[in-house]
Amino acid sequence: MSEPRQVNRAYQSQLRRNWWLKHGYYQRYMLREATVLPLLFFCGCLLTGLYSLQHSEQSWLNWLAFMATPWVIGLNLLTFFASLFHAKTFFELFPRVLPILPAPLMIAGQWLGTLSVALLLALLLGGVL
Amino acid sequence: MQKTLVIQRYNPEQDHKPHPQHFTVPCDDSTSVLDALLYIQQQLDPTLAFRWSCRMAICGSCGVMVNGIPKLGCKTFLRDYKDDITVEALAHFATEKDLISDMSVFLTHLQAVKPYLINHDTRPQPHQQTPKQLAKYAKFSNCINCGLCYSACPQFGLNPAFLGPAALTLAQRYNLDSRDQGKAQRMPQLNGKNGVWGCTFVGFCSDVCPKQLDPAAAVNQGKVASAADFVIGIFKP
Amino acid sequence: MTQPTRSDEPIWWALFSAGGVCFAVLIPGLILTLAIAYPLGLLPENALDYAQIRQWLFSDYWGLAGLVLVGAGLCLPLFHAMHRVHHGMHDLMLRAGGWGKVLCYGSASLLSVLALYFWYLGLSAS
Ligand code: SF4
Ligand code: FES
Repeated sequence: MSEPRQVNRAYQSQLRRNWWLKHGYYQRYMLREATVLPLLFFCGCLLTGLYSLQHSEQSWLNWLAFMATPWVIGLNLLTFFASLFHAKTFFELFPRVLPILPAPLMIAGQWLGTLSVALLLALLLGGVL
Repeated sequence: MQKTLVIQRYNPEQDHKPHPQHFTVPCDDSTSVLDALLYIQQQLDPTLAFRWSCRMAICGSCGVMVNGIPKLGCKTFLRDYKDDITVEALAHFATEKDLISDMSVFLTHLQAVKPYLINHDTRPQPHQQTPKQLAKYAKFSNCINCGLCYSACPQFGLNPAFLGPAALTLAQRYNLDSRDQGKAQRMPQLNGKNGVWGCTFVGFCSDVCPKQLDPAAAVNQGKVASAADFVIGIFKP
Repeated sequence: MTQPTRSDEPIWWALFSAGGVCFAVLIPGLILTLAIAYPLGLLPENALDYAQIRQWLFSDYWGLAGLVLVGAGLCLPLFHAMHRVHHGMHDLMLRAGGWGKVLCYGSASLLSVLALYFWYLGLSAS
């Protein structure tokens, strides 16, 4: 009796480096992950600001001038939108990981937090508080 | 009405990689992808290989990629597609023949998390449970082991040792069950780098799950559990 | 099945999550005021007055506001960002192994320490 021929040639496809370009869902995921790149830029701004503030009045004024350069404002505008996109995704994930209250309530609550922080800072620096 | 299916064929005895083949099938509003595959097999090409059984989205065997997205063939209808429809074997798994995937990795991963009730109480009376206790895990208990979530998960594609959505969801399902005492046995698997920590919350698994289990949520609830276990581990080595 | 070793990921994940909250709740307001409204002249000229900001961050309440700003506005977001960079490298199949991890969390730690140091310098000068 002849042995059955052993066929063991399953085809295994390999992911390529650009796998995330293949589908809108993956692109959105990568966009979410990439929000940290402009965030790193803003962190750099804050860190230099902190340095200038403790250093001297002149370097603080230099930092303020740096923050007012058009390309810095432009990059920070991008960071602002990145932070909002991150916030949207983060707030929506949170109730799924820790389902304490109904999801819409938790999402609204978190946006309220972001809004009040922004408002508080604006009022504080605007001299209203 | 007629539609064209472009099927990725693979014959392990002849081919080195899959190649597309076009088939035109008659269809109406109730024709599923599985119906179309059965038509092709019965009328056009008896060598076409694919899995199916229940035809009602409960056995979990008919998973295929439809236009690049993991779907159950029996729950996907030609009416929802305008142009040609491409059908391939499930992504990230090895293809044995045509649309038949080798699911053995998936089964090994399922096994690893001990997806069954572990209870040392051997007395014969039933383990009672209140509706509230049931509600804690009920959502995660409807898995039909179709493996679609693995085809949607790039982390599994990048690292086949990652236990993956369904296995981690099942672990969470039993860990949340008031009748179960096996959490301590499951946590070591979850705590590893190929356990819950292999996940980056891409979330596509929850989109494709035909039973709306939200596996991504279960995996990330598992992260909270694993982090708690980590802290406990510091104090109790 | 052998038992896998426990991952140290809970530490980085906890920092990542805390940083994610800061990135979502605090950072938009900070950018809006410091980096957009003030440079565009939408806030009063003296809104970022040197002496005033120093007092808020380094003097009032033992510099507590400064510490909160450093922690929630810099350290935690840095760990959040570098955690995503670390996993992003894996996603893009840049296999840096253990070095990638050292690089990512090392730089986040270093910059965090630096930020705390600047705050401490400001504190002791005020
Ligand atoms: S979790 Fe959903 S997609 Fe994954 S195997 Fe179970 S039923 Fe299928
Ligand atoms: S044939 Fe059973 S799920 Fe599709």
